[in-house]
Amino acid sequence: MTGWSRRNAPGVAGAVIVAAMAVLAVVGPPIWGDEAVRIDAAAILQGASPGHPLGTDNLGRDLLARVLVAGRYSLLLALAATAIGAVAGIVLGTLPSVLPRRAARLATGTVNALVAFPGLLLAMFTAVVTGLGARGAVLGIGAAIAPGFARLTQTLAATVANADYVSAARMLGVPRRRILTRHVLPNIAEPLILNLTQALGGALLGLAGMSFLGLGVQPPDFDWGRLLFDGFPRIYVTPEVALGPAAAVALAGIGFNLLGDALARAAARTSVVRERTPAPPVADGAGEPDPGAVLEVRDLTVTFPGGVTPVRQLSLTVAPGEIVGLVGESGSGKSLTAAAIGGLVPYPGTVTYAALRLGGRDVATLSDKELGTALAMVFQDPLAALNPALKVGGQLAEVAIVHEGADRAEARRRAVDRLGHVHLPEPERRARQHPHELSGGMRQRAVIAMGLMGTPRLIVADEPTTALDVTVQRQILRLLREVVEETGAATLFISHDIAVVGELCDRVVVMYAGRVVEELPAGRLADGAAHPYTKALIASLPDLDTDRSTPLAGIAGTQPAPGQIGLGCAFAPRCPLATARCESERPELVAHGPGQRVACWEVK
Amino acid sequence: MIIKNLSVRFGAFTAVDDVTLEIPDGGVVGLVGESGSGKSSLARAVCGLVPHTGSVEGARRVQMVFQDPYASLNPRMTVGRTIAEGAGPKEVERLLGLVRLPAELAGRYPRELSGGQRQRVAIARALGGNPGLLVADEITSSLDVSVQGAVLNLVRGLRDELGLTMLFISHNLAVVRYVADVVAVMHHGRLVEVGPTEQVVGEPAHEYTRALLAAVPRLRG
Repeated sequence: MTGWSRRNAPGVAGAVIVAAMAVLAVVGPPIWGDEAVRIDAAAILQGASPGHPLGTDNLGRDLLARVLVAGRYSLLLALAATAIGAVAGIVLGTLPSVLPRRAARLATGTVNALVAFPGLLLAMFTAVVTGLGARGAVLGIGAAIAPGFARLTQTLAATVANADYVSAARMLGVPRRRILTRHVLPNIAEPLILNLTQALGGALLGLAGMSFLGLGVQPPDFDWGRLLFDGFPRIYVTPEVALGPAAAVALAGIGFNLLGDALARAAARTSVVRERTPAPPVADGAGEPDPGAVLEVRDLTVTFPGGVTPVRQLSLTVAPGEIVGLVGESGSGKSLTAAAIGGLVPYPGTVTYAALRLGGRDVATLSDKELGTALAMVFQDPLAALNPALKVGGQLAEVAIVHEGADRAEARRRAVDRLGHVHLPEPERRARQHPHELSGGMRQRAVIAMGLMGTPRLIVADEPTTALDVTVQRQILRLLREVVEETGAATLFISHDIAVVGELCDRVVVMYAGRVVEELPAGRLADGAAHPYTKALIASLPDLDTDRSTPLAGIAGTQPAPGQIGLGCAFAPRCPLATARCESERPELVAHGPGQRVACWEVK
Repeated sequence: MIIKNLSVRFGAFTAVDDVTLEIPDGGVVGLVGESGSGKSSLARAVCGLVPHTGSVEGARRVQMVFQDPYASLNPRMTVGRTIAEGAGPKEVERLLGLVRLPAELAGRYPRELSGGQRQRVAIARALGGNPGLLVADEITSSLDVSVQGAVLNLVRGLRDELGLTMLFISHNLAVVRYVADVVAVMHHGRLVEVGPTEQVVGEPAHEYTRALLAAVPRLRG
């Protein structure tokens, strides 16, 4: 809770300041209006005194009252300027998406030229052309704001214009203008509105600047900038007469900017702060380490705030040289299981377990270095696992340098050797290339080679072939098998594709809604699967022998979300065999034939 | 309808190279190939979404269903408005029925639907355009297997009910085999083999088709 309020403190401050300014704009003139214009010949050009905390001006008017009253006018002018700028900018920015090609290019060119032009110069130029006074200043600041809005609108509109739903609307013959108002604008409104708050702060400062230069509000009207302009010549004698309005301008500008920043951050929602999860309390019953297992997971649970538990008391073991497949659909918790094993569960998830051992030792007691060499992780997107700015060879060498203290030349030689080992053609040359110069299959080979830089005891591969073509997938699966046979590493292979798992793995663990529902030797998948979910998964998969004349089997309904799992079997609502007992009581995993365990009341 | 000598070039790169392919009325032609083979570029050219040379003859109105149901529906529009855009508001209920979705879904937003439901809405929207040709580009590859089966059944059902002409694109030969009458295999922008499904799958003539077939993972082997 404290972390939350600390991160949001600027936003709260901004909201408080903006709210105070709004109140001031409403109540200021009725309360202090008379005092602000009352001429007092006896008290002209005074400094601060108990009667006049900010002094008086050349007609003896109280400056504090004038600053408080000027708030409404200053804010209204800023609002008007922002509105003009935003409307002009958005219209200019959307023109390229509705005009024919040639006119669109002209509109884009105009925006580019305007953006390159200094804002204040544009404002002053417009103000001088349209005449001195508040109107000129507002138009000027509006003109200065417009190009930024135009550019933002144009960029946002261009990204949305390539969206599939816009293509679909075009194919349905929806007119361009309707595409703009229905599909494009509503989807870019949020960032535009956020930008508005910040533009308001900028307009306030800009208008004060214009008034201060004498280009803005003219007497007898006054805004903060005008008060600053009037007080400035006296700044060396009685500084408070200039500092009062200056402070008001600064405070309002800061308030709007802070609020705008906070809103933008909240909308982006990207602040995923990764903290190393503290070592979980070891529950009772951890028991002795299983000597035959490289990876031993007992009662692993991953919880997120709000009672969301995507992984529930999961247990599994992987022996040396064994490939265990973890299958499940999206949302079953299989990837979070992999993340928990590697200590990569994102904040604010918490991981608890009775035992999570790698080579007989609790992973919480392993140093980063030990974990780094003993565990190799391969992810779905090899491009995300490789740094695009660094050469492939250098990234591999880094592993040996950081984890094993190898010298640069030695590490490099090893990197080239490992790349050759995963059958990457011309490893010398590939090592000198950047990741984007490699094909998807080559990148995945490079990531596997990276895992082989150390001597991994465990390989965790999370959907490593999902992004690859079938022919490349076949090669990568063969490579994984080869690597496992050679290094004797235990491997946890995570996939949604039960056919791939069946082909590669020795043993298969099937997950549903965060729990293991069945565990069986891969050879028994085709004919020996017992859990109705496993059976349905296999039946719904078309292969090259599927009967084309009958409908494919599917599974009606959807997997429950991690926050909505009831007391009973999570699969019961979709299960053809479900009884009243399944709804209320959860079945435990029990032995069912050699090497097989099933969690189902109806399997006898 | 027939696609004649169609080519798509992006600068110096030729994505689709002189493809001629006939899609018989009421038939489903499956197009297989790996990523980068040009199958998606061909689909977009047939829909008029990318500039191309060559011609597409005999296709009245072409509609497309996209791969990613999370990106192909406007998040700010309800299901009903999305479908009504091409078909008009009176047709919404009928179209939802066609894709086996309850009429209550019309008032919901895409974020409230599962991936499979979204893909059905996308199909309903395309059907609302009364298509002479429906292009389905990898429509099941971002769905879970348990949902994929139901969507494939729906596609086959629609073909039988409406006599829909379809170009069904997928990298998965087993999926294409299940829905298509004719299979066309694409490799490096060219068609390397075209023939009746059972013939292409049973007795592949081209070496690349054989490699694709051999790579399909299977449980029973």
